[in-house]
Amino acid sequence: MPRAVWGFLLLGALACLPRAAPPPGVLRINLGTEPPTLDWTRATDSVSIQVIDQLMRGLAELGPDLRPVPALAERWEVTPDGRVYTFHLREGVRWTDGEPLRAEHFVYAWRRLLDPQTAAEYAYFLFPVRGARAYNAGKLRDPNAIGVRALDGRTLRVELEGPLVYFPSITTFMVTYPARRDVIEAYGERWTEPEHIVTLGPFRLEAWEHEYRILLRPNHDYFAGPPRLKQIAAYMVTEGSTALILFEQGILDIVRVPPLEIRRLSSHPGYRRVPALRGYYYGFNTEEAPFDDSRVRRAFGMAIDRAELPKVLRGGELAASFWIPPGMPHHNPSIGLRFDAEGARRLLRDAGVDPAKLPPIRVVYNTDQTHRLVAQNIQKQWQNNLGVRVELDSREWKVFLKELVVKPSPVYRLGWGADFPDPDNFMSLFASYSANNHTRWGSPRYDRLVERAARERDPSRRQALYDEAQRILCEREVPIVPLFVSAINLLVSERIEGFEPNPMDLMFFEGVEAH
Amino acid sequence: MTRYVALRLLQGVGVLWLVATVTFALLRLLPGGPFDREKVLPPEVLRNVEARYQLDAPVAVQYLRYLQGLVHGDLGPSYKYVGRDVADILRDAFPVSIGLGALALGLALGFGVSLGLVAGTHRGRPPDHAATLLAVLGMSVPSFVLGALLILVAGLWLGWFPAALWEGPLYAILPALTLAATPAAYVARLTRAGVLDVIDLDYIRTARAKGLSESRVRVHHILRNALLAVVTYFGPLLAVLLTGSFIVEQIFAIPGMGRFFVTAVTNRDYPLVLGVTLVYAALVVLANLAVDLLYAWLDPRIRLGGAER
Repeated sequence: MPRAVWGFLLLGALACLPRAAPPPGVLRINLGTEPPTLDWTRATDSVSIQVIDQLMRGLAELGPDLRPVPALAERWEVTPDGRVYTFHLREGVRWTDGEPLRAEHFVYAWRRLLDPQTAAEYAYFLFPVRGARAYNAGKLRDPNAIGVRALDGRTLRVELEGPLVYFPSITTFMVTYPARRDVIEAYGERWTEPEHIVTLGPFRLEAWEHEYRILLRPNHDYFAGPPRLKQIAAYMVTEGSTALILFEQGILDIVRVPPLEIRRLSSHPGYRRVPALRGYYYGFNTEEAPFDDSRVRRAFGMAIDRAELPKVLRGGELAASFWIPPGMPHHNPSIGLRFDAEGARRLLRDAGVDPAKLPPIRVVYNTDQTHRLVAQNIQKQWQNNLGVRVELDSREWKVFLKELVVKPSPVYRLGWGADFPDPDNFMSLFASYSANNHTRWGSPRYDRLVERAARERDPSRRQALYDEAQRILCEREVPIVPLFVSAINLLVSERIEGFEPNPMDLMFFEGVEAH
Repeated sequence: MTRYVALRLLQGVGVLWLVATVTFALLRLLPGGPFDREKVLPPEVLRNVEARYQLDAPVAVQYLRYLQGLVHGDLGPSYKYVGRDVADILRDAFPVSIGLGALALGLALGFGVSLGLVAGTHRGRPPDHAATLLAVLGMSVPSFVLGALLILVAGLWLGWFPAALWEGPLYAILPALTLAATPAAYVARLTRAGVLDVIDLDYIRTARAKGLSESRVRVHHILRNALLAVVTYFGPLLAVLLTGSFIVEQIFAIPGMGRFFVTAVTNRDYPLVLGVTLVYAALVVLANLAVDLLYAWLDPRIRLGGAER
């Protein structure tokens, strides 16, 4: 067949492309997977948050600078000792069934979160509340003994175990959102289905086609004014490259960029990148030689040129020698070990370690392309800069997690994403009693600094406490070596206006328009 | 006959019990549990969660409870999808996978048998070579490559079919083609071999000598016997379709149950893994029974259940 005929056929085929104009006012996003639940008291994962944050609000919400600003509470005050918070609820907030919001809806939700029967995994977010931990552990039977009380319909009083300056930040997190006893008791496990669920956020649940898509409609009674969109269709396309094709076809409006495509698409007009509040680090098992010596750990930290990692990964990562990420209050970019191969070798010598005689250092990561690239780069750097031998080993995710708790390898990778944007969420991780501290390192001084910072109301004194704690963590004791801060890479369609990616990886659509 | 089927079904129940037991044991031997999280749970919270799902009981007790539930048709709650029962999840996803699988099965048999028949009856000539080439391609190109290619070419560039999602019959074409490619190739090879086995036999010559038309000879005499080999392959064919559905459903964003095959294991969602495995095992058991019944119909020399008939 002559080439012209083929060309003609191809043109004809292109002409019948099913590119219907996207309906105005409809935003189509990709969740990636099915949200495990829309019950905000029992949710734990980022996909569920993505939907729940369209449906609900808390006492406070995150402002543009990630500080908590009033939402369902129009204001709050705290006693001088920092132990008792009083939240005053906004007037005229109504649930989607017309019922007005009352303080007791918070009391019910918080008791439900802490009730051992509920078995909510994130119950511990409210452990700072008086009696909460004991109640959750079954040691305290009376729910009235928990430090949360409705003084009247619009006043909520919260008593804490001790002073905690960032408590309002916690109230931006979904597990603290109010809930309706009548609805949950009437429908049991099925209360989150569209025909039963009652919410009060900017959008309401219209349909939930499991494993496929969720449809949201605007809540015209939303207290801050109805959103501009007519509908949000949130699909569950697992495969990143498929989602990308649907974006290119104009079927999805906002998608994540798969890591391998970032380079190709970084010049796309819809490409957006924001640094995430998510740190990536290597931890040492400080109980075993050679990493039981802080000089050795420091040497290994100094032998890494972190600037290489963003070049290898190409996902917009930011090299980080500090632990509190940029965008978080009390971040300090000057903290951390600088790259100094010569100094690192000297430190090893001082510690009496002969790199050539050291058995191979085992680095373990969970099976994943990014983690492998990082591990290979670190392996190369340690071998070149220190003259040690490095062995890489990967594990399936759950096996990896189990090993971390039971017997951490000499060096392991891990990350941490912020639950709420306060440095305590990052720093208390490495307290000696933290279950998330797999390094087996503990420093009473570090513990005290982090505890004091959690109570400290003066920002400059709080800064000094966190700086000191970070110096212990990242410069002197070095149980962990922070490597980089991840980035969020998105493609946003030109028809979408007013959408801003958020470093917490949350998406808000109240002010968004779709043309 | 009825007695034979009843006996086979009874055996099937035994097989399912065995599958449930082995899967249960393997899952518990796998390191890492459903609630091992990147963000480690405090001990009191973990205790509450384990109590809720009765994971605090001895494993033997958990096993007996599971079997007890199973007898009553209760597959238990999912650990990952809070508040949803495994039965609910499978009820949503199973029809999607079965629809897609049936379409792929039809395509595999249709393409495979016709290709094999053409190849077998033209042995050594160009149609045979062309068919063999196609079959080799079908067998060797993995479904994630074929799927991506189809999405790119037929979906994105030509726009003939939707690239992904699940909104109507048209959306099933590309995934079904992807899913059918490998089994179609096997079916083609088996059909060709089957045709070659019988094509020179006496009864075919007799049929021709009787003056039957060539098409009648091919369809009624050659194909019917050649299909025996294909029917034997039915069980494994179903397995290929089922396991293939994981990748296909994932890349085409189809809300079927194939994806649970892997994700439920990664999540250590024990009841969901067991539920999916049992459903698939039941399918294979039924398919094998169907194969044996088909045998008897295709080849009168075969007697079911011994010489009772």
